[in-house]
Amino acid sequence: MTFKPRYVSIAVITLACITPVLVLVLLSLSQSWVYPKVIPGRLSVSQWREAFRQNTGIANSLYITLLLAAAVAVISTTSGFICSKWIAYHKHKKRLLLLAYLPFVLSPVILAVCLKFYFIKLNLAGTFVGVLLAQLVIAFPYSTIFFTGFWNRQMLQYEQLVKTLGGSQGYAFKMVIVPAAKPLLLICFFQCFLIAWFEYGLTSVIGYGKVPTLTIKVYQFVTEANIYYAALSCCLLVLPPILLLWINKRIIFRQVK
Amino acid sequence: MFLHLQHIQKGYGTQQVLNNVTVQLPAQQTLSILGRSGCGKSTLLKIIAGIEMADSGSIYLNTKDITHLKPAERNIVYLFQEALLFPNMNVFENISFGLRIRKKSEQEIKKQVNEMVESLSLGDHISKMPHQLSGGQKQRVAFGRALIIQPPLILLDEPFSNLDVEARTNMQGLYKQVAKQYRLTALFVTHDLKEALIMGDQMSYMQQGQLQLYQNKQDFMNDEKTGVKNELVFWNGL
Repeated sequence: MTFKPRYVSIAVITLACITPVLVLVLLSLSQSWVYPKVIPGRLSVSQWREAFRQNTGIANSLYITLLLAAAVAVISTTSGFICSKWIAYHKHKKRLLLLAYLPFVLSPVILAVCLKFYFIKLNLAGTFVGVLLAQLVIAFPYSTIFFTGFWNRQMLQYEQLVKTLGGSQGYAFKMVIVPAAKPLLLICFFQCFLIAWFEYGLTSVIGYGKVPTLTIKVYQFVTEANIYYAALSCCLLVLPPILLLWINKRIIFRQVK
Repeated sequence: MFLHLQHIQKGYGTQQVLNNVTVQLPAQQTLSILGRSGCGKSTLLKIIAGIEMADSGSIYLNTKDITHLKPAERNIVYLFQEALLFPNMNVFENISFGLRIRKKSEQEIKKQVNEMVESLSLGDHISKMPHQLSGGQKQRVAFGRALIIQPPLILLDEPFSNLDVEARTNMQGLYKQVAKQYRLTALFVTHDLKEALIMGDQMSYMQQGQLQLYQNKQDFMNDEKTGVKNELVFWNGL
């Protein structure tokens, strides 16, 4: 029996990608999985049922995280798209872009500590809106940088052409610019969603733990040594982004074709 | 005069791009503007279209002062070097774009677009997307999109410069035919001497922001700086 190296490497890579997720799913379904057992003793969906029925806070965390990530993605994508246009055609484009890179110079936790004072002063610390704004500090500049390359000479000429054909700026945006940017808008939306979905540092420091997103919940379960709920929260954390990536891939590739 | 430019001045910082440009063009005539790259030809067209504003001077179209009107209010179409077809629309939708802005009925749009498509020999391509068209076909569609709104003035900024020799010759022929059919008044910018002579009813030469108009083609050819004499010397010497 011979194995082609190509297929072996594909199998190894696939296994390496799937195994961690599979272990998480198994752990979230197991009642007891202790050393030296290779597989869990008993598998049941009761933990999943409990998680959404009882007062574990997991369901609440899921809704908060979904709402937060969706809000961050919508706000940062739209505002970044508009702001990047303004920057792209500005005479001080390079300086303004440098400002957009500033939040990425520091790690999110250090950035959060730096900003915490202002959030406390504005009574935003420990609130949903506070965490939303804190996450926008990262997602908005990311989106702005992401779209800067889109606003080239050709896009400017499209706008000018629509105007000479009798259309307004808004009409050019609606009929030509946004459709042309659609694949990029979708990619940016998904990426900003993922940034917010997995964000921990800013959420933890600005939210004081009062805004229990899934990442905060996972950490909480891990420190409580509750590995089964931690695994369940991790599954919830991992599955929606996988779904999004799958949809993203389908939409983008369909548009490119 | 149908188009009257009076003392147009334009500068960027310390650089003067247009210097006291004055033009008078009768209706249904095409004025060729020959000049090297960076001499201010495109800036002049953009000012007439309203995409850029002049520092001083006035623009009159059919005796109406349009100097301070927005581009959408001027009804002057600017054709760029690239065809700039909207990538999310097929040929029909691209050509009908201006009619939809003017909120024409669906029936009217269909009728006008079909007529335009036939006159530009694009009948077989009406449902195609821009990426399925050749360079020449794209320029035809761009023409159709401009002509269908019946603009009083068309500004052509080296529209054939990206085409190969054969497609360019075809498009020049098509333009002459279309200009006659639709009684176009146009400004045609080019840096190609032969093209300027073929396309223009009237001739001009732009150099360092100054536009010189010629009484006739003979005057244009007799002027050393247009380069016609050098060309003749070259061809006669072969």
